[in-house]
Amino acid sequence: MSDKEHVMSLIRQAELYRSQGLLEASMERYQEILQFVQNHERFSKHKKLIDAVRKRIRTVEEDLAETERETDRPELSEEVQNLIQKLFSFSRNADTAAMEGAIALAKFGQYEKAVAEFERLLNQDTLPLEAAKNILRCHLNFSSPRVAIAQFERWVSHKGFSKGDLKYLRDFLEDIFEKRDIEADLPQVPGAPHERARTEKKEDEVLDISSVGLQLQSGPLRGRRVDLQVSFQSGNTISVVIPARHKDLIDAFEPGLQLPDLECYSLIAVFNGNGMVSGKTLITSGPRQGDYTLDIRIDEA
Amino acid sequence: MAVFNARDRVIECKIVYYGPGRGGKTTNLEYIFKAGKQYTMSDMVSINTKGDRTLFFDFLPMGLGKIRGCDVKVQLYTVPGQPKYGSTRRLVLKNVDGVVFVADSLEVRRKANALSLKDLQQNLAAQNVDIFKIPLVMQYNKRDLDGQRIPIMPVDVMERDLNSRLKAPCFEASALRGMGVRDTLKKCLVLTLRNLQRELEWTR
Repeated sequence: MSDKEHVMSLIRQAELYRSQGLLEASMERYQEILQFVQNHERFSKHKKLIDAVRKRIRTVEEDLAETERETDRPELSEEVQNLIQKLFSFSRNADTAAMEGAIALAKFGQYEKAVAEFERLLNQDTLPLEAAKNILRCHLNFSSPRVAIAQFERWVSHKGFSKGDLKYLRDFLEDIFEKRDIEADLPQVPGAPHERARTEKKEDEVLDISSVGLQLQSGPLRGRRVDLQVSFQSGNTISVVIPARHKDLIDAFEPGLQLPDLECYSLIAVFNGNGMVSGKTLITSGPRQGDYTLDIRIDEA
Repeated sequence: MAVFNARDRVIECKIVYYGPGRGGKTTNLEYIFKAGKQYTMSDMVSINTKGDRTLFFDFLPMGLGKIRGCDVKVQLYTVPGQPKYGSTRRLVLKNVDGVVFVADSLEVRRKANALSLKDLQQNLAAQNVDIFKIPLVMQYNKRDLDGQRIPIMPVDVMERDLNSRLKAPCFEASALRGMGVRDTLKKCLVLTLRNLQRELEWTR
Protein backbone atom coordinates (compact mmCIF):
# COMPACT_ATOMS: atom_id res chain seq x y z
CA MET A 1 0.00 0.00 0.00
CA SER A 2 1.42 3.37 -0.98
CA ASP A 3 1.63 6.20 1.54
CA LYS A 4 -1.21 7.95 -0.21
CA GLU A 5 -3.40 4.83 -0.05
CA HIS A 6 -2.48 4.43 3.61
CA VAL A 7 -3.62 7.97 4.40
CA MET A 8 -6.79 7.48 2.37
CA SER A 9 -7.53 4.27 4.26
CA LEU A 10 -7.05 6.01 7.63
CA ILE A 11 -9.32 8.86 6.55
CA ARG A 12 -11.99 6.36 5.49
CA GLN A 13 -11.79 4.63 8.86
CA ALA A 14 -11.87 7.89 10.82
CA GLU A 15 -14.93 9.07 8.90
CA LEU A 16 -16.76 5.78 9.28
CA TYR A 17 -16.11 5.57 13.01
CA ARG A 18 -17.33 9.12 13.40
CA SER A 19 -20.49 8.42 11.41
CA GLN A 20 -21.17 5.44 13.68
CA GLY A 21 -20.68 7.42 16.87
CA LEU A 22 -17.40 5.70 17.71
CA LEU A 23 -15.84 9.04 18.46
CA GLU A 24 -12.80 7.92 20.43
CA ALA A 25 -11.82 5.50 17.66
CA SER A 26 -12.35 8.25 15.10
CA MET A 27 -10.18 10.65 17.09
CA GLU A 28 -7.39 8.08 17.32
CA ARG A 29 -7.40 7.64 13.54
CA TYR A 30 -7.29 11.37 12.88
CA GLN A 31 -4.39 11.74 15.31
CA GLU A 32 -2.65 8.90 13.51
CA ILE A 33 -3.18 10.63 10.18
CA LEU A 34 -1.83 13.91 11.53
CA GLN A 35 1.25 12.21 12.91
CA PHE A 36 1.81 10.34 9.67
CA VAL A 37 1.54 13.36 7.38
CA GLN A 38 3.71 15.49 9.65
CA ASN A 39 6.41 12.81 9.69
CA HIS A 40 6.48 12.26 5.95
CA GLU A 41 8.19 14.86 3.87
CA ARG A 42 5.91 14.20 0.95
CA PHE A 43 2.88 15.33 2.98
CA SER A 44 4.43 17.61 5.59
CA LYS A 45 4.45 20.57 3.22
CA HIS A 46 0.88 19.87 2.21
CA LYS A 47 -0.59 22.59 4.42
CA LYS A 48 -4.12 22.14 3.09
CA LEU A 49 -4.16 18.48 4.08
CA ILE A 50 -2.76 19.17 7.55
CA ASP A 51 -5.31 21.95 8.11
CA ALA A 52 -8.13 19.71 6.96
CA VAL A 53 -7.10 16.96 9.39
CA ARG A 54 -6.79 19.45 12.26
CA LYS A 55 -10.25 20.77 11.44
CA ARG A 56 -11.62 17.23 11.55
CA ILE A 57 -9.99 16.64 14.93
CA ARG A 58 -11.65 19.79 16.27
CA THR A 59 -15.02 18.61 14.93
CA VAL A 60 -14.67 15.22 16.63
CA GLU A 61 -13.64 16.98 19.84
CA GLU A 62 -16.80 19.06 19.63
CA ASP A 63 -18.87 15.89 19.04
CA LEU A 64 -17.31 14.33 22.12
CA ALA A 65 -18.02 17.44 24.18
CA GLU A 66 -21.60 17.49 22.88
CA THR A 67 -22.10 13.87 23.95
CA GLU A 68 -20.83 14.78 27.41
CA ARG A 69 -23.26 17.67 27.59
CA GLU A 70 -26.25 15.49 26.68
CA THR A 71 -28.48 14.93 29.63
CA ASP A 72 -28.64 11.80 31.72
CA ARG A 73 -32.21 12.82 32.43
CA PRO A 74 -34.11 12.36 29.18
CA GLU A 75 -37.48 14.06 28.98
CA LEU A 76 -40.13 11.41 28.59
CA SER A 77 -43.86 11.71 28.27
CA GLU A 78 -46.03 10.68 31.19
CA GLU A 79 -47.23 7.75 29.10
CA VAL A 80 -43.68 6.44 28.69
CA GLN A 81 -42.92 7.03 32.36
CA ASN A 82 -45.97 4.97 33.28
CA LEU A 83 -44.87 2.30 30.84
CA ILE A 84 -41.43 2.15 32.47
CA GLN A 85 -43.07 1.66 35.85
CA LYS A 86 -45.26 -1.09 34.46
CA LEU A 87 -42.57 -2.88 32.48
CA PHE A 88 -40.04 -2.96 35.25
CA SER A 89 -42.22 -3.91 38.20
CA PHE A 90 -41.65 -7.62 38.42
CA SER A 91 -42.80 -8.55 41.88
CA ARG A 92 -46.25 -9.92 42.56
CA ASN A 93 -46.26 -8.17 45.87
CA ALA A 94 -47.89 -4.79 45.23
CA ASP A 95 -45.63 -2.85 47.62
CA THR A 96 -42.44 -4.34 46.26
CA ALA A 97 -43.68 -3.85 42.70
CA ALA A 98 -44.39 -0.17 43.39
CA MET A 99 -40.88 0.22 44.79
CA GLU A 100 -39.40 -1.54 41.73
CA GLY A 101 -41.32 0.75 39.39
CA ALA A 102 -40.05 3.85 41.19
CA ILE A 103 -36.48 2.54 41.15
CA ALA A 104 -36.82 1.91 37.40
CA LEU A 105 -37.90 5.51 36.89
CA ALA A 106 -34.78 6.68 38.72
CA LYS A 107 -32.57 4.38 36.67
CA PHE A 108 -33.96 5.87 33.46
CA GLY A 109 -33.23 9.37 34.76
CA GLN A 110 -36.84 10.30 35.56
CA TYR A 111 -35.77 12.08 38.70
CA GLU A 112 -38.81 14.20 39.54
CA LYS A 113 -41.32 11.43 38.93
CA ALA A 114 -39.16 8.89 40.81
CA VAL A 115 -38.90 11.18 43.84
CA ALA A 116 -42.65 11.80 43.72
CA GLU A 117 -43.26 8.03 43.70
CA PHE A 118 -40.84 7.39 46.56
CA GLU A 119 -42.54 10.16 48.54
CA ARG A 120 -45.94 8.63 47.85
CA LEU A 121 -44.67 5.26 49.12
CA LEU A 122 -43.14 6.93 52.14
CA ASN A 123 -46.38 8.72 52.97
CA GLN A 124 -48.25 5.43 52.67
CA ASP A 125 -45.71 3.83 55.01
CA THR A 126 -44.79 1.35 52.28
CA LEU A 127 -41.19 0.20 52.79
CA PRO A 128 -40.54 3.66 54.29
CA LEU A 129 -36.83 3.30 54.93
CA GLU A 130 -36.21 1.99 51.40
CA ALA A 131 -38.28 4.85 50.01
CA ALA A 132 -36.35 7.40 52.07
CA LYS A 133 -32.99 6.00 51.04
CA ASN A 134 -34.00 6.11 47.39
CA ILE A 135 -35.13 9.74 47.75
CA LEU A 136 -31.68 10.58 49.11
CA ARG A 137 -30.00 8.60 46.32
CA CYS A 138 -32.06 10.47 43.71
CA HIS A 139 -31.12 13.86 45.14
CA LEU A 140 -27.46 12.89 45.26
CA ASN A 141 -27.37 11.46 41.73
CA PHE A 142 -29.48 14.04 39.95
CA SER A 143 -29.33 17.14 42.08
CA SER A 144 -26.79 17.91 44.81
CA PRO A 145 -25.66 16.83 48.27
CA ARG A 146 -27.14 20.09 49.57
CA VAL A 147 -30.63 19.00 48.44
CA ALA A 148 -30.17 15.58 50.07
CA ILE A 149 -29.08 17.19 53.33
CA ALA A 150 -32.05 19.60 53.22
CA GLN A 151 -34.37 16.63 52.74
CA PHE A 152 -32.80 14.84 55.70
CA GLU A 153 -33.16 18.00 57.83
CA ARG A 154 -36.87 18.11 57.00
CA TRP A 155 -37.27 14.52 58.16
CA VAL A 156 -35.42 15.31 61.38
CA SER A 157 -37.67 18.29 62.14
CA HIS A 158 -40.99 16.71 61.08
CA LYS A 159 -40.80 13.78 63.51
CA GLY A 160 -42.20 11.28 60.99
CA PHE A 161 -39.37 8.80 61.56
CA SER A 162 -38.30 7.24 64.83
CA LYS A 163 -34.95 8.34 66.22
CA GLY A 164 -33.48 4.95 65.30
CA ASP A 165 -34.67 5.27 61.71
CA LEU A 166 -33.32 8.81 61.45
CA LYS A 167 -29.98 7.67 62.79
CA TYR A 168 -30.02 4.86 60.25
CA LEU A 169 -30.72 7.32 57.41
CA ARG A 170 -28.05 9.68 58.68
CA ASP A 171 -25.49 6.86 58.68
CA PHE A 172 -26.61 5.87 55.20
CA LEU A 173 -26.07 9.41 53.92
CA GLU A 174 -22.80 9.77 55.77
CA ASP A 175 -21.50 6.54 54.22
CA ILE A 176 -22.26 7.79 50.72
CA PHE A 177 -20.59 11.12 51.44
CA GLU A 178 -17.49 9.33 52.72
CA LYS A 179 -17.43 7.11 49.67
CA ARG A 180 -17.72 10.05 47.29
CA ASP A 181 -15.34 12.29 49.26
CA ILE A 182 -18.05 14.84 49.92
CA GLU A 183 -17.47 17.05 52.93
CA ALA A 184 -20.74 18.06 54.53
CA ASP A 185 -22.17 18.82 57.94
CA LEU A 186 -25.02 16.46 58.57
CA PRO A 187 -27.42 17.44 61.34
CA GLN A 188 -27.30 15.20 64.39
CA VAL A 189 -30.41 13.32 65.40
CA PRO A 190 -31.41 14.71 68.81
CA GLY A 191 -31.38 12.05 71.48
CA ALA A 192 -30.13 9.29 69.20
CA PRO A 193 -27.10 7.25 70.23
CA HIS A 194 -23.82 8.31 68.65
CA GLU A 195 -22.85 4.82 67.56
CA ARG A 196 -23.93 3.56 64.18
CA ALA A 197 -27.59 2.63 63.99
CA ARG A 198 -28.44 -0.91 62.87
CA THR A 199 -25.41 -1.37 60.67
CA GLU A 200 -21.96 0.00 60.14
CA LYS A 201 -21.71 -1.50 56.70
CA LYS A 202 -21.79 0.67 53.67
CA GLU A 203 -25.02 -0.28 51.97
CA ASP A 204 -23.85 0.52 48.50
CA GLU A 205 -21.12 -2.04 48.89
CA VAL A 206 -23.52 -4.94 49.41
CA LEU A 207 -23.17 -7.31 46.49
CA ASP A 208 -26.06 -8.51 44.39
CA ILE A 209 -27.19 -11.64 46.20
CA SER A 210 -28.70 -14.41 44.14
CA SER A 211 -29.55 -16.87 46.91
CA VAL A 212 -29.05 -17.47 50.61
CA GLY A 213 -28.52 -20.62 52.60
CA LEU A 214 -29.23 -21.00 56.31
CA GLN A 215 -29.80 -23.50 59.06
CA LEU A 216 -32.89 -23.01 61.17
CA GLN A 217 -31.95 -22.49 64.81
CA SER A 218 -35.25 -23.11 66.55
CA GLY A 219 -38.77 -24.46 66.21
CA PRO A 220 -39.94 -27.78 64.75
CA LEU A 221 -37.56 -27.44 61.80
CA ARG A 222 -34.53 -26.77 63.99
CA GLY A 223 -31.34 -27.96 62.32
CA ARG A 224 -32.88 -28.06 58.85
CA ARG A 225 -30.86 -26.43 56.09
CA VAL A 226 -32.79 -24.19 53.73
CA ASP A 227 -31.76 -22.53 50.46
CA LEU A 228 -33.83 -19.56 49.35
CA GLN A 229 -33.68 -17.88 45.97
CA VAL A 230 -33.66 -14.08 46.01
CA SER A 231 -36.43 -12.49 43.98
CA PHE A 232 -35.64 -8.84 44.74
CA GLN A 233 -32.90 -6.88 46.41
CA SER A 234 -32.78 -3.30 47.56
CA GLY A 235 -29.55 -2.40 49.31
CA ASN A 236 -28.98 -4.92 52.07
CA THR A 237 -32.59 -6.09 52.16
CA ILE A 238 -33.50 -9.12 50.09
CA SER A 239 -36.90 -10.61 49.37
CA VAL A 240 -37.53 -14.30 48.88
CA VAL A 241 -40.75 -16.08 48.00
CA ILE A 242 -41.82 -19.17 49.94
CA PRO A 243 -44.48 -21.23 48.16
CA ALA A 244 -47.72 -21.83 50.03
CA ARG A 245 -47.12 -25.60 49.98
CA HIS A 246 -44.13 -25.15 52.35
CA LYS A 247 -46.33 -24.20 55.29
CA ASP A 248 -43.83 -25.50 57.82
CA LEU A 249 -41.21 -23.21 56.36
CA ILE A 250 -43.56 -20.22 56.27
CA ASP A 251 -44.33 -20.79 59.94
CA ALA A 252 -40.64 -21.00 60.77
CA PHE A 253 -40.00 -17.37 59.82
CA GLU A 254 -41.48 -14.48 61.74
CA PRO A 255 -40.48 -10.81 61.65
CA GLY A 256 -37.67 -10.18 64.11
CA LEU A 257 -36.21 -13.69 63.76
CA GLN A 258 -32.41 -13.51 63.79
CA LEU A 259 -30.62 -15.54 61.14
CA PRO A 260 -26.99 -16.00 62.12
CA ASP A 261 -24.42 -17.56 59.74
CA LEU A 262 -26.36 -16.76 56.63
CA GLU A 263 -24.50 -17.90 53.52
CA CYS A 264 -25.00 -15.30 50.81
CA TYR A 265 -24.27 -16.33 47.25
CA SER A 266 -23.43 -13.58 44.81
CA LEU A 267 -22.00 -13.74 41.32
CA ILE A 268 -18.45 -13.06 42.37
CA ALA A 269 -18.26 -14.36 45.88
CA VAL A 270 -19.91 -16.24 48.69
CA PHE A 271 -19.92 -14.42 51.99
CA ASN A 272 -21.33 -15.05 55.41
CA GLY A 273 -23.63 -12.60 57.05
CA ASN A 274 -26.13 -12.18 59.81
CA GLY A 275 -29.71 -11.61 58.87
CA MET A 276 -32.95 -10.60 60.42
CA VAL A 277 -36.44 -11.23 59.08
CA SER A 278 -37.81 -7.73 58.62
CA GLY A 279 -41.13 -8.57 57.02
CA LYS A 280 -43.43 -11.41 55.98
CA THR A 281 -46.24 -10.71 53.56
CA LEU A 282 -48.94 -12.93 52.12
CA ILE A 283 -49.24 -12.56 48.34
CA THR A 284 -52.92 -11.91 47.79
CA SER A 285 -53.22 -11.83 44.01
CA GLY A 286 -51.65 -13.12 40.81
CA PRO A 287 -50.25 -16.53 40.00
CA ARG A 288 -48.35 -16.69 43.28
CA GLN A 289 -51.39 -15.95 45.38
CA GLY A 290 -51.08 -17.74 48.71
CA ASP A 291 -47.28 -17.72 48.67
CA TYR A 292 -45.38 -15.55 51.12
CA THR A 293 -42.73 -12.91 50.56
CA LEU A 294 -40.07 -12.78 53.21
CA ASP A 295 -37.86 -9.70 53.61
CA ILE A 296 -34.47 -10.30 55.16
CA ARG A 297 -32.08 -7.55 56.16
CA ILE A 298 -28.48 -8.68 55.85
CA ASP A 299 -25.37 -7.43 57.61
CA GLU A 300 -22.07 -8.86 56.48
CA ALA A 301 -20.38 -10.73 59.30
CA MET B 1 -39.38 -15.59 32.84
CA ALA B 2 -42.38 -15.68 30.53
CA VAL B 3 -45.73 -14.45 31.78
CA PHE B 4 -48.80 -16.56 31.12
CA ASN B 5 -51.98 -14.55 30.71
CA ALA B 6 -54.66 -17.19 31.26
CA ARG B 7 -57.62 -14.96 30.41
CA ASP B 8 -56.36 -13.99 26.95
CA ARG B 9 -54.49 -17.26 26.48
CA VAL B 10 -51.32 -15.41 25.64
CA ILE B 11 -47.79 -16.20 26.72
CA GLU B 12 -45.62 -13.11 26.91
CA CYS B 13 -41.91 -13.57 26.63
CA LYS B 14 -38.99 -11.22 26.52
CA ILE B 15 -36.06 -11.12 24.12
CA VAL B 16 -33.24 -8.68 24.76
CA TYR B 17 -30.73 -7.45 22.18
CA TYR B 18 -27.44 -7.11 24.02
CA GLY B 19 -24.00 -6.00 22.90
CA PRO B 20 -21.47 -3.19 22.93
CA GLY B 21 -22.55 0.39 22.37
CA ARG B 22 -22.88 1.41 18.72
CA GLY B 23 -22.83 -2.20 17.58
CA GLY B 24 -26.22 -2.13 15.85
CA LYS B 25 -28.76 -3.31 18.43
CA THR B 26 -31.01 -0.36 17.83
CA THR B 27 -30.65 -0.69 14.05
CA ASN B 28 -31.74 -4.34 14.36
CA LEU B 29 -34.86 -3.39 16.26
CA GLU B 30 -35.67 -0.47 14.01
CA TYR B 31 -35.45 -2.76 11.00
CA ILE B 32 -37.67 -5.38 12.64
CA PHE B 33 -40.16 -2.72 13.65
CA LYS B 34 -40.36 -1.33 10.12
CA ALA B 35 -40.18 -4.57 8.19
CA GLY B 36 -42.47 -6.47 10.53
CA LYS B 37 -45.03 -3.71 10.91
CA GLN B 38 -47.93 -6.14 10.52
CA TYR B 39 -46.66 -8.13 13.49
CA THR B 40 -45.98 -5.25 15.84
CA MET B 41 -48.56 -4.62 18.52
CA SER B 42 -47.40 -1.37 20.01
CA ASP B 43 -45.46 1.76 19.23
CA MET B 44 -41.74 1.60 19.53
CA VAL B 45 -40.72 3.30 22.74
CA SER B 46 -37.31 4.89 22.73
CA ILE B 47 -35.65 6.08 25.91
CA ASN B 48 -32.64 8.16 25.00
CA THR B 49 -29.73 8.33 27.37
CA LYS B 50 -26.44 10.07 26.74
CA GLY B 51 -25.28 8.80 23.36
CA ASP B 52 -27.32 5.63 23.68
CA ARG B 53 -30.84 4.33 23.64
CA THR B 54 -33.11 1.73 25.17
CA LEU B 55 -35.81 0.57 22.80
CA PHE B 56 -38.88 -1.48 23.41
CA PHE B 57 -41.87 -2.75 21.49
CA ASP B 58 -44.26 -5.67 21.43
CA PHE B 59 -44.06 -8.13 18.59
CA LEU B 60 -46.42 -10.92 17.61
CA PRO B 61 -44.53 -13.49 15.61
CA MET B 62 -46.77 -15.25 13.11
CA GLY B 63 -46.41 -18.75 11.86
CA LEU B 64 -44.40 -20.00 14.77
CA GLY B 65 -47.32 -21.92 16.15
CA LYS B 66 -48.84 -21.92 19.59
CA ILE B 67 -47.74 -23.25 22.91
CA ARG B 68 -50.45 -25.33 24.58
CA GLY B 69 -53.05 -23.48 22.55
CA CYS B 70 -51.76 -20.07 23.53
CA ASP B 71 -50.58 -17.25 21.31
CA VAL B 72 -47.12 -16.02 21.97
CA LYS B 73 -46.41 -12.33 22.35
CA VAL B 74 -42.82 -11.25 22.33
CA GLN B 75 -41.42 -8.11 23.87
CA LEU B 76 -38.26 -7.00 22.15
CA TYR B 77 -35.80 -4.80 24.02
CA THR B 78 -32.41 -3.29 23.48
CA VAL B 79 -30.13 -2.22 26.26
CA PRO B 80 -27.93 0.86 26.35
CA GLY B 81 -24.53 -0.61 25.50
CA GLN B 82 -22.17 1.88 27.08
CA PRO B 83 -20.37 0.56 30.16
CA LYS B 84 -21.75 3.26 32.46
CA TYR B 85 -25.35 2.07 32.01
CA GLY B 86 -24.73 -1.19 33.85
CA SER B 87 -27.63 -0.84 36.24
CA THR B 88 -30.06 -0.05 33.40
CA ARG B 89 -28.86 -3.14 31.55
CA ARG B 90 -29.43 -5.27 34.63
CA LEU B 91 -32.93 -3.87 34.90
CA VAL B 92 -33.81 -4.50 31.25
CA LEU B 93 -32.35 -7.98 31.43
CA LYS B 94 -34.54 -8.99 34.35
CA ASN B 95 -36.80 -11.97 33.55
CA VAL B 96 -35.34 -12.30 30.06
CA ASP B 97 -36.30 -15.40 28.05
CA GLY B 98 -33.90 -15.12 25.14
CA VAL B 99 -30.91 -13.04 24.12
CA VAL B 100 -29.46 -11.86 20.83
CA PHE B 101 -25.88 -10.76 21.25
CA VAL B 102 -25.06 -8.21 18.57
CA ALA B 103 -21.30 -8.15 18.14
CA ASP B 104 -19.57 -5.40 16.18
CA SER B 105 -17.37 -6.71 13.37
CA LEU B 106 -15.11 -3.65 13.40
CA GLU B 107 -11.63 -4.56 14.53
CA VAL B 108 -11.53 -1.53 16.83
CA ARG B 109 -14.49 -3.00 18.74
CA ARG B 110 -12.92 -6.37 19.47
CA LYS B 111 -12.31 -5.62 23.13
CA ALA B 112 -15.72 -3.93 23.53
CA ASN B 113 -17.41 -7.13 22.24
CA ALA B 114 -15.60 -9.31 24.75
CA LEU B 115 -16.31 -6.95 27.64
CA SER B 116 -19.98 -6.76 26.73
CA LEU B 117 -20.29 -10.54 26.55
CA LYS B 118 -18.65 -10.82 29.96
CA ASP B 119 -21.05 -8.18 31.26
CA LEU B 120 -23.98 -10.20 29.86
CA GLN B 121 -22.75 -13.36 31.55
CA GLN B 122 -22.38 -11.55 34.88
CA ASN B 123 -25.74 -9.84 34.69
CA LEU B 124 -27.48 -13.10 33.82
CA ALA B 125 -25.69 -14.91 36.62
CA ALA B 126 -26.83 -12.21 39.05
CA GLN B 127 -30.38 -13.37 38.38
CA ASN B 128 -29.43 -17.04 38.51
CA VAL B 129 -29.45 -17.52 34.76
CA ASP B 130 -26.66 -19.49 33.16
CA ILE B 131 -25.47 -17.99 29.89
CA PHE B 132 -24.86 -21.55 28.65
CA LYS B 133 -28.51 -22.46 29.21
CA ILE B 134 -30.48 -19.43 28.11
CA PRO B 135 -31.56 -19.30 24.45
CA LEU B 136 -28.80 -17.21 22.90
CA VAL B 137 -28.02 -16.23 19.33
CA MET B 138 -24.87 -14.49 18.16
CA GLN B 139 -25.02 -11.92 15.45
CA TYR B 140 -21.87 -10.61 13.78
CA ASN B 141 -23.04 -7.26 12.55
CA LYS B 142 -21.66 -4.72 10.05
CA ARG B 143 -20.51 -7.39 7.59
CA ASP B 144 -21.39 -4.98 4.77
CA LEU B 145 -18.09 -3.23 5.58
CA ASP B 146 -16.21 -6.26 4.30
CA GLY B 147 -14.46 -5.23 1.12
CA GLN B 148 -14.75 -1.53 1.86
CA ARG B 149 -11.16 -1.34 3.13
CA ILE B 150 -12.29 -0.91 6.71
CA PRO B 151 -10.57 -3.32 9.11
CA ILE B 152 -13.16 -5.84 10.20
CA MET B 153 -12.66 -9.16 11.90
CA PRO B 154 -13.05 -12.41 10.01
CA VAL B 155 -16.01 -14.42 11.28
CA ASP B 156 -13.76 -17.23 12.49
CA VAL B 157 -11.89 -14.75 14.71
CA MET B 158 -15.18 -13.52 16.18
CA GLU B 159 -16.30 -17.10 16.66
CA ARG B 160 -13.08 -17.88 18.49
CA ASP B 161 -13.30 -14.73 20.61
CA LEU B 162 -16.93 -14.91 21.55
CA ASN B 163 -18.46 -18.23 20.73
CA SER B 164 -15.86 -20.96 21.12
CA ARG B 165 -17.32 -22.06 24.46
CA LEU B 166 -20.90 -20.91 24.10
CA LYS B 167 -21.39 -22.50 20.68
CA ALA B 168 -24.53 -20.47 20.14
CA PRO B 169 -26.06 -20.31 16.66
CA CYS B 170 -24.50 -17.38 14.83
CA PHE B 171 -25.43 -15.17 11.90
CA GLU B 172 -23.56 -12.67 9.80
CA ALA B 173 -25.58 -9.52 9.42
CA SER B 174 -25.81 -5.99 8.21
CA ALA B 175 -28.59 -4.50 10.30
CA LEU B 176 -28.35 -1.33 8.27
CA ARG B 177 -29.35 -3.24 5.14
CA GLY B 178 -31.54 -5.77 6.90
CA MET B 179 -29.27 -8.66 5.99
CA GLY B 180 -29.39 -11.43 8.60
CA VAL B 181 -31.77 -9.53 10.87
CA ARG B 182 -34.80 -11.74 10.33
CA ASP B 183 -32.77 -14.96 10.48
CA THR B 184 -31.24 -13.90 13.79
CA LEU B 185 -34.58 -13.04 15.34
CA LYS B 186 -36.27 -16.13 13.95
CA LYS B 187 -33.61 -18.39 15.40
CA CYS B 188 -33.83 -16.69 18.77
CA LEU B 189 -37.63 -16.97 18.74
CA VAL B 190 -37.50 -20.66 17.87
CA LEU B 191 -34.98 -21.39 20.62
CA THR B 192 -36.89 -19.29 23.15
CA LEU B 193 -40.26 -20.85 22.38
CA ARG B 194 -38.78 -24.34 22.40
CA ASN B 195 -37.29 -23.58 25.79
CA LEU B 196 -40.58 -22.20 27.09
CA GLN B 197 -42.44 -25.23 25.83
CA ARG B 198 -40.03 -27.46 27.72
CA GLU B 199 -40.38 -25.39 30.88
CA LEU B 200 -44.17 -25.34 30.71
CA GLU B 201 -44.33 -29.08 30.20
CA TRP B 202 -42.07 -29.64 33.16
CA THR B 203 -44.34 -27.67 35.42
CA ARG B 204 -47.59 -29.10 34.09
